[in-house]
Amino acid sequence: MTRACYSVIAAAVAALQTTSGNEAVVMKGRAPVSDAPVHIRLPVPVTFDLSNGLHVVVLSDHRAPQVAFTLVIPGAGGYFDPAARPGLATFTAAMMREGTPSRSSEALARQLEILSASLEVSATVASPDATISGTCLREDFPTLVDVVADVLRHPAFAETELGRYKERTRAAFAQQRSRPGTLATELFARLVNAPHPSARTMPTVEALDATTRAELVGFHAAHYVPDRAALLIAGDVTVTGVRRLVIGALGGWPRAGDRAPVVVDPPDRSNGGIHLIARPNSVQTTFVVGAPAVSRTSRDFEALQVMNQVLGAGPTGRLFVHLREEKGYTYAIVSLLTAGRYRGAWTAITDVRSDITDLALRDLLAEIARMRDEPVDALELRRQQHAIVAAFALTLESPRQLLDYYQTQWLYRLPADYWARYQERIMSVTAADVQRVARTYLDPSRLQIVAVGDPSQVRDRLSRFGEVAVDVADARIPR
Amino acid sequence: MNGTTNKDRTLYYETLPANQLELALFLEADRMRSLAITREHLDNQRSAVDEERRRRYDNQPYGRTDEALDELAFDAFASAHAVIGSPRDLDAASLDDANAFFRTYYAPNNAVVAIVGDCRAGDALTAAKRYFSPILSSPSPPPVDLGEAPQMGERRRALSDPLAPLPRVDIGFKVPNTGRQSDALRALATILGGGRSSRLYERVVRDQHRATSVAISLDPGLGPALFRITATVAPGATADRVEAAVEAEIERLQTAPVEPWELQKARAAARMASVTERQRSASVAIRIAEDAAFFGDPTRINGFEARIAALTADEIGRLARVYFVADNRTVVITAKPTSDTHEP
Repeated sequence: MTRACYSVIAAAVAALQTTSGNEAVVMKGRAPVSDAPVHIRLPVPVTFDLSNGLHVVVLSDHRAPQVAFTLVIPGAGGYFDPAARPGLATFTAAMMREGTPSRSSEALARQLEILSASLEVSATVASPDATISGTCLREDFPTLVDVVADVLRHPAFAETELGRYKERTRAAFAQQRSRPGTLATELFARLVNAPHPSARTMPTVEALDATTRAELVGFHAAHYVPDRAALLIAGDVTVTGVRRLVIGALGGWPRAGDRAPVVVDPPDRSNGGIHLIARPNSVQTTFVVGAPAVSRTSRDFEALQVMNQVLGAGPTGRLFVHLREEKGYTYAIVSLLTAGRYRGAWTAITDVRSDITDLALRDLLAEIARMRDEPVDALELRRQQHAIVAAFALTLESPRQLLDYYQTQWLYRLPADYWARYQERIMSVTAADVQRVARTYLDPSRLQIVAVGDPSQVRDRLSRFGEVAVDVADARIPR
Repeated sequence: MNGTTNKDRTLYYETLPANQLELALFLEADRMRSLAITREHLDNQRSAVDEERRRRYDNQPYGRTDEALDELAFDAFASAHAVIGSPRDLDAASLDDANAFFRTYYAPNNAVVAIVGDCRAGDALTAAKRYFSPILSSPSPPPVDLGEAPQMGERRRALSDPLAPLPRVDIGFKVPNTGRQSDALRALATILGGGRSSRLYERVVRDQHRATSVAISLDPGLGPALFRITATVAPGATADRVEAAVEAEIERLQTAPVEPWELQKARAAARMASVTERQRSASVAIRIAEDAAFFGDPTRINGFEARIAALTADEIGRLARVYFVADNRTVVITAKPTSDTHEP
């Protein structure tokens, strides 16, 4: 679920507030705001299960002649990579798009793109799940389902394509690691989660080089099973039509009958610290500051979500208002709460100019401390709760987003009425709840501060906050 | 809610629950009537833009490349300069400059409002009139010179970028940006560089391993645009070899007609883009406002699919022959400096 959206209402109200002292402006304070509560109506999904265990969720939505789908396969993500092959799940997923016995990689690309249909297979290195997702025009959905079944059941994993994939991917890794945000996120994950799989943000080049066709075939056979998988479809379809297509295409996908794979939390580390990744020639310091938080099913999740909204999820959050609007230290600062099947993290991310690195960090830490030390003001809390609810309502415009909500509900076994009652869940969080979770999860001794910047400009400024461990940026160009 | 500025226009949009339409109109009208451009606001926003510049351009690999290509390719200031501005220009902007710019351009006679969503057109128009009609007009802004003399020879620059892990080749061809030719160029971009079945991906990335990625961009707008091909050089390959491979594909476009399936792909891409654009009220509103402002035709969105569908292979080949020629080409090669010498 995306956290990038922010609310219009909250932003507008804050604009009124910040300029209301200006006497030249006479209309302020008389903004025509409707008090009518937002009524959120969610479409009711139709669900059914195939005999092989595949769970199917259908959300008919006839507003546009388009269909979006996601097939989630728990157990096929990078979380389950063998220890010696960090990235095998990622490589397997990517290689599934490189052809089947009846469709070469080129033919597959051509067949989909002639229809302007999209099809992605992905499995990130830390996720327990793999997903196959795509979009097409209504009339092409039967074709897309046929292609999906072929890609899912019969990937060729051809040696020639594997060689090509390795060549492209090696260089792509180096490209990604030249970006300061990637380096900071990578180190943060390692510090907070090692040796858990969530300590990894990218596969290693060594694993890529060593991966064989047999390993891809083996991983695919063992992990791409229907037993715990779900197919979610939203768009211009009928339930009868979907049932017929899905049974025809995926009814023969054999059940494995294995046990559900186990997912555990990362180890609980209590020690925070300050780390600098030396990246000479940087003109800014990139920060990731954060701490371990909760899993998606935690009772504290909604309270943390509200806390995060108050602190920094959007442009009316305290971090943005303070560090950008008041101080001009940064173009953007955002805080994120990530939570999946295992414990995630709360992080604040920003880039600030090198010569005010210390001032920006001081203010960022002060806002975190204020969150712990003071209960949030009732009006501010109410506005940010409305902001979460309004943003939620507005995202329902997109069938893809709707699909993501139901995926979350299914994946984490949330109550069936979770989204229908989401507004209520958010609005019932109190100022005391917010302060309690801030105190629990934003404990200063657990905060990890990761900075990427030019050490000659930044190191001394950071050392004012404690001992700084220095690492060197590693964006090697692979062989 | 956000605001964006590109070479041609500044645009603000907000998406609200239907019962808050009046709030959006009030806020936009209030901004247009009485924006408080104070010393404090200007200084603060200037540092925000300074940081935006550092973050998006100065601290990223290839961050300076787009600017370098525009500056080299275009002669008219309006097309050549970076929208975000240089640090020197940002420092030099005075309160008077900001106020004069605001008065000139943020006037009702120079603006378009588009409203899309769950409302009655008559009610929305009445409300829009109520909020915007009291705002005074300004004299029309001075016309902008977007003219470009025909380019008389290739322009080329080597750009040193200490943050670039791999060399990158950027090739731009100046092209017209409105009307039928612009639609045909979009189709051409899909055929040459759109997706895994595109000619550049198939040959230069997948078969030849000369580039790790290839992308084509075509800026929307009023003035002449650059049809821009961007290729990151693969380890072991060279910028020369990437350029040669791209050139070979361009030559193929000029000498043999595109295939029927490629035209079909361009048409499907146009249809999908239309369908997707229509799913969000905000994207429809933005399209309508821009079409009204640039082309005087708020209904232009309705013809896009049909215009792409009507394109022929001949037309596409002709465009490639007219515009993708050496004299009209601008090339920037971005790479890490090889020694300690940096460009001035």
